[in-house]
Parts: sequence; C-alpha cells; structure tokens
Amino acid sequence: MRLLSYASRRLLRGFATFLFAVTITFFLVRLLPGDPMLAIAAPGMTEELLARQIADLGLDRSLIVQYVAYLRELAQGNLGISFLRGQPVSEVLMARLPWTLLLTGSALLVTIVLGVPLGVLAAVKARGAVDRLVQMVGVIGQSLFVPSIGIFLLYTLGLWLDLFPIGSAVDPDTHGVARALSILHHLALPCLTLVMAQLASYVLTLRATLIESLGEEYCDLARVKGASERRVVWQHALRNALLPTTTLVGLQIGFLVGGAVLTETIYAYPGVGRAIFEAVGQLDYPVLQGAFVLLAATVVLANLLTDLLYGLLDPRVRTA
Amino acid sequence: MTEVTQSGIAAEEVQAPADPSPRRRTWRAFRQNPLGMGSLAVIAILAVVSAAAPLIADFPSGYGEEILVGPSATHWFGTDELGRDIFAEVIWGGRISMIIGFAASFLAILIGVTVGITASYAPKLDPLLSMLVDVSLALPVLPLMILVAALVGPSVETLVLVIALFSWPEVARIVRSQALSVTRLPYVDAARTIGGSHLWIMTRHLLPAVAPVIVVAVVLTASRAVLSEAGLSFLGLGDPNSWSWGKILYNAQRSGALTIAWWATLFPSLAILLLVVSATLVSIAYNDARNPKTREA
Amino acid sequence: MPRPSSAAWTLRALAYTFFALAVFALAGPMPANAQEPTRLAVGTTADVVNLNPLVGNSRSDTWVTNLMYPRLMQMSANGQKEPYVATDWGYSDDGLTAWMELRDDMMWSDGEPFTADDVAFTITAVTEEAIGITAGLVGGSFERARAVSPTRVEFDLTQRDGQFLTNMGFWMPIVPEHVFPEVGQVSEFANDSDWVSAGPFVMTSVERGQRYVLEAVETYPFAPGGRAAVDEVVFRVFPDVNAQALALRAGDLDLIANAIPPAIARALSADPSITLVEIPALGWAHMQYNLERPPLDDLAVRQALAHAVDYEAIRRIALQGQAGSTLSSVISPVLSFWHDDTIEEYTYDPERARALLEEAGYTDADGDGFYDGITFGLLYDQAAAEIANWAQIVRDSSAEAGIEIELTGLERNTYLARARDRDHDIYAGSWSIMEEPAAYLDLAFRDGGFINYGNVSDPEIERLLDEAQAATSPEEALGPVQAIARRINEQVYDNVLYYQEFQFAYNSDRWEGFVPQPSDLLSLVNPLSLASVHPVD
Repeated sequence: MRLLSYASRRLLRGFATFLFAVTITFFLVRLLPGDPMLAIAAPGMTEELLARQIADLGLDRSLIVQYVAYLRELAQGNLGISFLRGQPVSEVLMARLPWTLLLTGSALLVTIVLGVPLGVLAAVKARGAVDRLVQMVGVIGQSLFVPSIGIFLLYTLGLWLDLFPIGSAVDPDTHGVARALSILHHLALPCLTLVMAQLASYVLTLRATLIESLGEEYCDLARVKGASERRVVWQHALRNALLPTTTLVGLQIGFLVGGAVLTETIYAYPGVGRAIFEAVGQLDYPVLQGAFVLLAATVVLANLLTDLLYGLLDPRVRTA
Repeated sequence: MTEVTQSGIAAEEVQAPADPSPRRRTWRAFRQNPLGMGSLAVIAILAVVSAAAPLIADFPSGYGEEILVGPSATHWFGTDELGRDIFAEVIWGGRISMIIGFAASFLAILIGVTVGITASYAPKLDPLLSMLVDVSLALPVLPLMILVAALVGPSVETLVLVIALFSWPEVARIVRSQALSVTRLPYVDAARTIGGSHLWIMTRHLLPAVAPVIVVAVVLTASRAVLSEAGLSFLGLGDPNSWSWGKILYNAQRSGALTIAWWATLFPSLAILLLVVSATLVSIAYNDARNPKTREA
Repeated sequence: MPRPSSAAWTLRALAYTFFALAVFALAGPMPANAQEPTRLAVGTTADVVNLNPLVGNSRSDTWVTNLMYPRLMQMSANGQKEPYVATDWGYSDDGLTAWMELRDDMMWSDGEPFTADDVAFTITAVTEEAIGITAGLVGGSFERARAVSPTRVEFDLTQRDGQFLTNMGFWMPIVPEHVFPEVGQVSEFANDSDWVSAGPFVMTSVERGQRYVLEAVETYPFAPGGRAAVDEVVFRVFPDVNAQALALRAGDLDLIANAIPPAIARALSADPSITLVEIPALGWAHMQYNLERPPLDDLAVRQALAHAVDYEAIRRIALQGQAGSTLSSVISPVLSFWHDDTIEEYTYDPERARALLEEAGYTDADGDGFYDGITFGLLYDQAAAEIANWAQIVRDSSAEAGIEIELTGLERNTYLARARDRDHDIYAGSWSIMEEPAAYLDLAFRDGGFINYGNVSDPEIERLLDEAQAATSPEEALGPVQAIARRINEQVYDNVLYYQEFQFAYNSDRWEGFVPQPSDLLSLVNPLSLASVHPVD
C-alpha cells in the first residue's frame, strides 16, 4: 500500500514536472534571438508578403494565445506542423527518436554492466593497484573531449584499419540479421564514446559510497556474524551504495538524450539531440518545441523509474 | 538568494571542521598518496603557467605565413589555419578555460548542496525543491545556452553563469538522495529532540554524511564545466575576442583541420585532459584520505 | 523485498532483452531479395529541410530537388542563361508579353507528359502564394501565364522587365500540376511521399538525419544514354566536414556535394584516389559600410577603410589561395559579359589610409594608437569559417592604419536578425550566386532593398537601375549596369574582397564523367552531371 501511494505521488509529480518543463521551454523557445521568418524569407520578399506568411504561421498572435493553443493540441497528442518542412513534427522527430533511444539505451546498459563490477572491484581493493588502474582509465575516459576522441576513433578504426563504417546508423537495403548486425556495427563507435564519457561517474560514485558503506556498523555486524567479505560487499554494502548510482541513472538519461549532440555530430548519427541543434539554427519553433516535449517526457519517465527503483531498494524511503 | 548565503556558511564549515586532528590526519594520508600529490602539482603548474601567460608567449593574433605546419623548434605545438602559434594559444587559452571551469563548478556546488540538503531536511520544502530540480534537469541545456549566449553576448561571465545554472541540479539530486538516508537515522532525530538548531544539525550531521558525495560531485562538476566550456566554444558560442581550449578546437573543426593537422587537436585536447584528470584524481585522493577505512587499509 | 543482487540481476536481464528487441525492431522484416545496383553516395553537411522544391531553399534542398524538378534554363560557366527545357524565349516589342518554347520530349516519371500547363501552373502558384525566392524575383512584373500549346507558354507582364524570363528560367523549378495541390495550397504541400519526377532521378525513401535515396528514372532525354548511368543516388548527411572528408577517403562516400574547406582540399589533393574540381563562385565576399552610422557617411573614412584591408593576405592565408580578386567591383570577372576591368582596385596601403583620415580632420588625441571616433563593429556569422578567419585579418590590418575594428561574430540567426535591422557598423558576408547584375544590384543598392546592408540611397544609382531593368536585352543593360558598378566602387558603398574558387572532391578511382556547373549550388551534383557520371571500368 505504501509503495503504491509512493508510486502514485511520484506519478503525479512527474506529470507536474512535465507540464512545467513544457511551459518553460515554450516561452524560452520563443525568446530565442532572431526571427523565424528570416530562415524562410527569401531576398526580394516584400514586407507585405512577409506579413502574410507570419499570419499564416500564427506568429502574429500573442504568446499567451499561442501557448493555450499549443497546450490544447498537445493534449490531443498533436505536436504541430513544422514551419520549414510542412510536415507534422511527430513525423520529423519519430524518424530520429528510435536511434536516440538505441544509442543512449545501449550506452547506459554497457556503462552499468561495466561500471558496477568495476566500482565494486575498486572499492574492495581500495588504494591497491587495481583500484588505481580502474580509476585512471575511468577518469581519463571521462576527461576526453568528445569531438577529439570521436575524430581519433574514426581516423584510426574507420579510415586506417577500416574496421567500422563512417557515418549513419545503418546501411541501406539490409534486412533481418544482416540489418541488425549493420546497426550494431554503426552503433559501436558512438556508443563506445558515450560509455567512455560517463563510465567514471558510475564507477566513482559507486566506489565512494561503497567504501563508506563498508565502514558502517551494519557491515561490521555482518562480519561479526560470520558473513564472508564477498557476501558483505555484494549483499549488504552494495544495497546502500546502489542508491546514489540509481539516482545517477535518472540524471544521465536526460544528459545523454539531450547532450549527445557532439557525439551525434561527429559520427553523423541521426539522433534527436542533433535535430534540436539544427532546429535552433533554423528557428523551427514547432520542431524545437516538440523535441523539448519528447526530451522532457523521456527524462521524467526515466526519473520516475529510478524513483520507483529507489523506493524498492531503500526500505527507509519506502516506509517513510 | 538566502540559499546561497546559507551554503556559504555551510561550505566554510566543511573546509574547517571543529576538530583539527582529523584534518591533520587527512592531510598526512593525502601526502602519502603519490597520485594525489602528483595531480595537485600538475594543477599548480597549469595555474602558474596560465597566470604567467604574458611572460611566456605573445597573445596569439594576426596571421603567419606558415599555415598548419607541424611542431618545430619555432612553433613547439605547430601552427593553426591562420599560421598562428598553437603553443601560445594553448597557454593563453588555459586562463579562460580554468577560470570558467572552476568558477562555474564553485557556483554549481554552492547552489546544489544548499538545495539538496534543504530538500532532504525539510520535508515540506522537499516536493517543491525536488520539482525544481527535476524541471531544471528536464530542460534542454544546449538551446538554452545558445539563447543566453546570444542574448547576453558571448563572454566569460556568460559561460560561467550558463554552465553553473545547468550543473547544480545534478549536484542537488545526488546530495539529496544521500542525505535522505541519513535524515531519518536515530541520531539525527535525537539531535532534533534535544533541540539542536536546524543549521547546526544540517552542518554537523548532514554535511559530513554527504561529504563523500560532495567531493565526487565537485570532481564531476568541475570536469564537466571545463568540458562544457570546450563544448560550447566548439559549437561557436565562445567569445570571438579571447582564447580558450575549446576555441582552438572549434577553429580546427571549422576550418577542417581536425583530421589533417593532429597538432591542432592534440595539444588543446591534452591540456583539457590533463586538467580534468588531475582535478579528478586530487579529489579522489582527498576522499580516500579523509575516510578512516581506506586510510588504514 | 528482493535482495539487491537479484534486483540487479533482474534489471540486467530486462535491459539485455530490451536491447536485443530494440536492435531487431529497428532491423525490420526479412527482405524480398534484390541484386546489387550501382550506387553513388553523395555527402552533404545538412539534412534536406523541405522536399517541396518551391519552398525548400537550403543547399541540400536544392541539390536533391534539382534531380526531380527541372529548371527551364541552365547556367553557363560565366553566369549566362542557356537553353535546357526551354529551347527559345523572348519578349514582344512593347515588352509587356514574354514567351517561351519548351522541348516536346519531357515526361514525368508516372508517364504523364511534361507540358506548358505545368509551367503556367508553377508560376501562378509561386506568384499567387508568394513562395520563396522566385516570387521576389518575378512577382513584381508578372500578371498571368497562358499555355498556348503544350510546348509554348506566354506571360503577360505589368511592366517592361528584361530579367523576367531569365530569373524565372533559372530560379523556378517546375512541379507537376497533376500531383501538386491546387493553387492556394502549394506552399503548404510537404511533398514527402509518392514523388513524381521529370529529372534523371526520383526519390524513393527518406531516412531523416541519415540518407535520401533516389532511383534512376527510365527516360531522361539529357542523359548521354537516354537514362542515368547509375541506378541509385544516395545523399548521406555528415554534419561535421572533418568526418565527411574521412568518409570520402575511406570509400564510404563517392562525392561531397558541399565545397571543401581550403585546409581539407589541400590534404585531399595528396590522396591519389581523390580528384578535386575547382569551380569559381558566381558570387563574392564583401563588407558593407552602414552609411547611417557616422562617420561612415564620410567618403574619406570609407576610402580609408578600403585601404586598410590586407586583401592579398586574406586571399592567400584565410582562403589559402583559393580565391580571386574582383578588382573591388561588385561584378566579378566570372561574369565575363558584365565585368568591367577598367575599375580601380582598392589596395592595402595603411599610410594612405592614415593620410586620408588626417586630411579629413581625424586625430589621435588620447594617444591610444587609434584615431578618435574611428572605432567600428564588424558583424559576421561565426560559423562561416572563411569569413571568421578574414575578419581577424581585417581587424589586425586596420589597426595598422589607426582604425579600430571590434569583432562581432554571432550565431547565425542573431547575425541575420542584426543585419536585417541594419544594427551594425560594418556588415561582412558573402553571396553564393549573383548572376543577374540588374536584379541583384537592385536588391543590394536601391533605397529599401532587401539586402541593402549599407543603407545606400543614391539617386544616381536608382536612375541607372531603372534604366537597366527596362532593357529587354543584355546588350542594352550592359551600359547602365557597368555605370552602377563604377559608382559603387568610387563611393565605396561596398567593398568586395574576393570571389572564391570552390573545391569539390570525388573518388576518381571509382567514378568519372561528372559535368561541372558554376557555383556551389550546381557544382558536380547538378542533374546533368549525376545523369552522366558512370563507374570507371
């Protein structure tokens, strides 16, 4: 019951957060400097023609009127029509969302699969050679500038050794297993880059909290009761240490989805992050706003999931 | 605003705990960690070199006849697409990059820790603050940075503020989640029952409990701030009249030099790497040193 | 409550499952097998924005839609209009009727004939709905169009306009009347599926952010063999030019559509499998001085500014030699018919600049090395690599002449907004195609002109412009056009620094037979070129 009310409270808050984020971004997008008509208007267009186009796009109405109209459409799942493309925004973005989810999802997966054992290893062997090595590799990975490492990997593995394709997310005209393999082939380098950039966050957070936990009384108690050190680490200490790590997952999804712009740019990977960056350049309000809506929804959902997981993992929160 | 002042006090408290002997013990343990000391030395050297930039090299401007020429005796780090000396650019760029990185990180930690601890300690404020954090995290950082940079005009102050504004929520969230598991522990309740002031409880019990997380957060935020600066400059949002490491990389990208002049990419990237790695290692070493468990290991 | 380790295990199992499912979901169904077609992979730096050729105005838009929707005329290397779909054209004696004859062997890819009705439909839609650049260019004089036969169109004009046919002929792609919606809804038509083409290729699939695939159309009368030699053209998007160049070298790309930055061009020229083609721009890069910002209204100050720019260094260093001089004229020598080589070129001479300023009474009372009040902001788009580079050279060489230049490099939209509001001292920019002098000089130098970034208002120029535009033959327009250029040069209303020699690169181990056309809009990816290119045997 408690878990249920905890969950419903979180759900409500998630919705409120989403609405708030949509509102803020709606107005911020429209505060962007520049005039969307400049991206559309051609030299030689008269003032009269410009005014007509502005009216057609609804840009002459007050912000509040535009905002209310937008919310009404959004409630019906309608993200509007792109200024520049004449296509529904959902169509423009949905071609890219799966790739973003794949890239960020796989990067997150690989990071956790590598990060948890490495974090435990580093904490257990704290200050030993293994710990140092794990930390060094992790720290160097996250300190690399994404475009630099991206170009380096493309140059060495893509051009020189010719092991990986350069650009795109999949080869055309491939099907079934061959297509799946092609997707993985194209995914490898951008995914590796994102993993390198964020692995250390997980390893270091886990390591720091695990070391702390291992010094706590309940761990000593378990030891006194005769539990093996392995059991103490993996079952008693890790439970607590996973809490901040869980939080980190929620954070990183937002960071990953919106922040992979540099990775997507260098690897020519068709993600939403890059779509946002392009839409800013084109002042395509509906696409920009739609991308923010998707981003906010993703982050809210991810945070919701980690909150729930958090509730499962930490009895103190669950029973609060 | 009040939050900022509060955490100003809080931050001092954490630097100078009432009991001097653990601090001395921490320092002694830190000194025995060669990696930590080495990293500290690297940071010191980078800081000194940046501060002394005018003595080391002329401010890079104008153009030279040797375009994109590799490292040589006259140009240690080679030249860029206008024939300017990349060594001078890296030296001068270090100033801006370091100032932005550390200033932004400091601001972000200040706000983040205050919000995080307040949220965990005051259940009434928690929903509001958590919501604020969630919203800030859900906002798309990059377009907002473009917005601010374009509105205010690209400058060092803009970059510091922008990066700090979008870094604190992460700190707040991590701090809050760690502090939450402490606020309901018996000794905190006990402190409350015996009538300890809120500030006293927060700084004496909550801050130490979240300290390891804060140290890690400092590391991650500072490194991300230097990298964010590089990323923003790389996207063309830097100050056109000053040099930073990101700006050197942006110039190389824009002119298509990334793959054909390794020196134009390598040296600024190395400088970023060196600074971020050192900062990270220093705080890890600090973290280990102040923890009795690892210190005695 | 589950133990953490088992919770972690469950989570991991779930995650793996999600991952496997995601990959296979994106992989899609098994194939109906096909043999390997010949495929040409073309790199671009940006996605296609709008597939409606009348609306889309980015370079990628033009490159892709050019392959499906033919223009009526072609452009020769010196910017002259030549027959293409239109075989002949002219004006009535009173200049109020224009006519055009079309080829009779053009077909749309769905089997419908390409006729004069399509042309009449297109221009009617463009002018009634005020769509894009063409509306601005022809809207002023166009009244109505009539298809008098399947191969002849006539146009009623409201006034004499010697540029009407050539502007329309080159700038207006023709769209199929039977596919596009009726006039009034054309500009909203997204044209994002079931494409019908009258060019060498027709689009078959779009994967946004990745690629645009076009297949050869069975009949294309301009192709050497009556059909394009390659089966498929794939435009692939590479937002970063560095990675794009790597893809060309690695064989992932066959051709790069955009002009290559000078530094990359130099590196690619060392690669034996890559061939570089040099194509001069039909436009130029320039600085315009805002005459409404004193002391820029003072001719002596503008002359001093013109003598304070190290043109030679800009062309040699910032453009790495891949640029030529226009003799400081707004008519580049590439437009050989219009160019006037007797115009006096501005030279870099800081001493003369100082002398001019001192003669005009400027002093350096505060001793900071700059004449008092001679401080100007230079507005440019920070993402335009060449301009951002030469802006720095302008700043440094102006300082030699005691002129202080403050760089205002802005993000593109802010730059455009500032330029539109004329919120600048000096505007720096470049034009890609300025092929019809009477038309572009009107936009750039008539009072209130759309791109009159210098706020020029000169009755002499206005009079000459009227004269040039009323002329119905180029020979008639030549005199007034050259007089305008001379006046602009003497008054330093505009300072043209160079025209660029664009570099384009392709894999010559695999392909041959490209047909270069002028400017980066046509270059090697024009329809004729892609219809002619074939694999090396």
